[in-house]
Amino acid sequence: MFTAEVIRAQVEKRIPGALTIYEPQTPELIPTGIAAIDQKIGGIPKCGLSQVCAPAGINSGRTTLLMSLLAQATGKKEEFCAVVDAIDCFDPESASRMGVCFSRLLWARCGDRGLKALERSFRAADILIQNGGFGLIVLNLSYIEEKLIRKIPHTTWFCFARKIERTSTAFVVLLAHSAAQSCAALTLHLGHAGALWEGSETVSYSRQISKIEFEFEIGRTRTRKPAQSVTTYFTARYLRT
Amino acid sequence: MFGCIYVPDFPVQAALLHESQEQALALLGGPDSLLKVVACNKAARSAGIRIGVTKLQAEACGIELRKRVPADEEAAQAVLIDCAFNFSPRVEATSPGAIIFDLAGAERLLGNDHAIAAGVLNQVTSRGFNCNVSVAANPDAAYCAAKGFKGITLIDEGDEAWHLSALPVKVLDPEPEVLDIFTAWGVKNLRSLAALPTIQITERLGQYGLHLQQLAQGAVTRELVPFDLPGLFQEREELEEPIELLEPLCFIINRLLSRLLDRLLERSLATDRIEIDLDLEVHTDREIDSLPAGSSRITFPRTIKVPVPVQDARVLFKLIQLDLAAHPPFAPVKKISIEAIPARIRYTQAGLFQRLSPEPAELEVAMARIRADFGEVDTQGRGRVGFISMADSHRPDDFQVGRSPAKEIIQDKSLAPANPLLRFRPVIPARVETSPANIPVSVCFLRKRAPVTAASGPWRRGGEWWDSKNKWLRDEWDLQLEVGGRPVEYRIYHDLSTGQWFVEGIYD
Repeated sequence: MFTAEVIRAQVEKRIPGALTIYEPQTPELIPTGIAAIDQKIGGIPKCGLSQVCAPAGINSGRTTLLMSLLAQATGKKEEFCAVVDAIDCFDPESASRMGVCFSRLLWARCGDRGLKALERSFRAADILIQNGGFGLIVLNLSYIEEKLIRKIPHTTWFCFARKIERTSTAFVVLLAHSAAQSCAALTLHLGHAGALWEGSETVSYSRQISKIEFEFEIGRTRTRKPAQSVTTYFTARYLRT
Repeated sequence: MFGCIYVPDFPVQAALLHESQEQALALLGGPDSLLKVVACNKAARSAGIRIGVTKLQAEACGIELRKRVPADEEAAQAVLIDCAFNFSPRVEATSPGAIIFDLAGAERLLGNDHAIAAGVLNQVTSRGFNCNVSVAANPDAAYCAAKGFKGITLIDEGDEAWHLSALPVKVLDPEPEVLDIFTAWGVKNLRSLAALPTIQITERLGQYGLHLQQLAQGAVTRELVPFDLPGLFQEREELEEPIELLEPLCFIINRLLSRLLDRLLERSLATDRIEIDLDLEVHTDREIDSLPAGSSRITFPRTIKVPVPVQDARVLFKLIQLDLAAHPPFAPVKKISIEAIPARIRYTQAGLFQRLSPEPAELEVAMARIRADFGEVDTQGRGRVGFISMADSHRPDDFQVGRSPAKEIIQDKSLAPANPLLRFRPVIPARVETSPANIPVSVCFLRKRAPVTAASGPWRRGGEWWDSKNKWLRDEWDLQLEVGGRPVEYRIYHDLSTGQWFVEGIYD
């Protein structure tokens, strides 16, 4: 008489772990440094592809999130990071003020525009992933037209997601709309909520932006379930010096 | 004990180092108008070539003739020195093609004298030389034995005179007039020279004659003149036919590089800089401004640097390949020369809790590969791939991108908040309408007109007023523009030197 235990023992004798349910390990998280986001998701997962979606042409908070994340990763976490900048929009001055450690940040600036920039940026990201040793790789496709992003085959996202799974790297893509879909371990949607100006309206030199409020929504997450798809807010403070 | 490596017909063997040593070859030297044979090998001598015959006479013998290249001999000598260093730390480069090395204490490590001599012979032969090896109690006896006897010669202490006795006087390289005197006296071999009365030979030939007699007796003892490290790590190859394509060129470079790295490895050294000189064959119909008058060859130099010393030929070859693909030589390559600048290997111990970071040499290759795609520098000469270093300046967007991390400058955190900006590079030209109070009321850029709903400024910034070429002055404005019915915060500036307006970025 073959009982389930006997069959299980015989199968596992030949193929160890064949009947064990695969439970992916909880990935290490890199905190973004923005309390509202970290409270919801804990941070950006390593060994996974994360996408941050924000429409072009508005104050969406993607740069605030990127620089805060880099500051956390290169600073407290002492990770080696890379930014592949498809449209060459990274501002070192702001990054420096945010506390990004430049000795642990590799910056690749693409000089092209359009489809060529997209192709080359993906190739550069692939080289860096294969090179290994990075804690965080950011592919900045902000301001790349939506129609070009839509041309990226789904298999490309799948390939990147699978490559990243085998590393201890967090791969973050900033883009205008969600394109990686189920390949992404985390999807964040960012948007503009409003800006607060202070000072007299009539005297321009006494006025200044005090803070800009951004809204974010978790589109998808594998780390904390169920995903809370409620709109939450975070702010960036500004001060002219 | 002392060992000696002697390579007969060294100039010819150096010229044929990576070819068959069996082929007949004679080397020509002297002024171009009167080239004469200065060296030849056994096969060439069999064909009737003698040293001193003119080029015209040599051509009649129907063998290959080449011009003597001192650089080939230097490279070959360096190979011999490397071989000797594998067996002893004290090496003397006695003459071209002759190396003497001290074997004191080596028997415990390397075995008896015969085993050492066999090892040396094997290693030198594997490098493409036909050589003789000898071991004797004093350096000069070892030298004479290696020069005079083929293969391996072992001379026990005290037996020098007996072993050397059969050798001709020529092995001592006496001056021509002294050799004539010996011939006149009927002294043909070292036995005859050693048997001459010492006082009489000193009376006739002085101290020089006495020294020659002591050499013949194998009785001269002296200290070695140690060769000074580091040696020249250089490989050269002159091609019969110039190469135009990159692939065959890289094939040869790979071979030369492997040889260089082998030599470095033998000395436990690495390299952090490779210098490549490609001699190009420029055709006269091509206009090359930099070409010196009357010359048909120019050198195309390339330098490959790595942040840390490496021993991996694969990494260096990939870097060279990417560099040559980005900067291909503009004419066929006739001669290749590669020099590795030696450096000590840096051993570092990784910490137990230290975060993973990319391996420096691999990262350099990755950066080179991205650079090949993205380009080297932008229009302002700043690197496209690398590590950011902020310039010590108040000029906006002033930074450099270097190949290695710059020294971190501690930022004054009191400057926070950071005002994160998504910067438009290059800045977008704009047309701005202002109110009578000079406050922007609308901005036109990228074929769109956006009314200003809130404005902050002007924030005047300027610098380098002392330099007429680089001075800058501008008024910055933080504006809230209504774009597509939504308020968006932009930073724009008015360049006061040109009067133009630009959109610099968006607060993001």
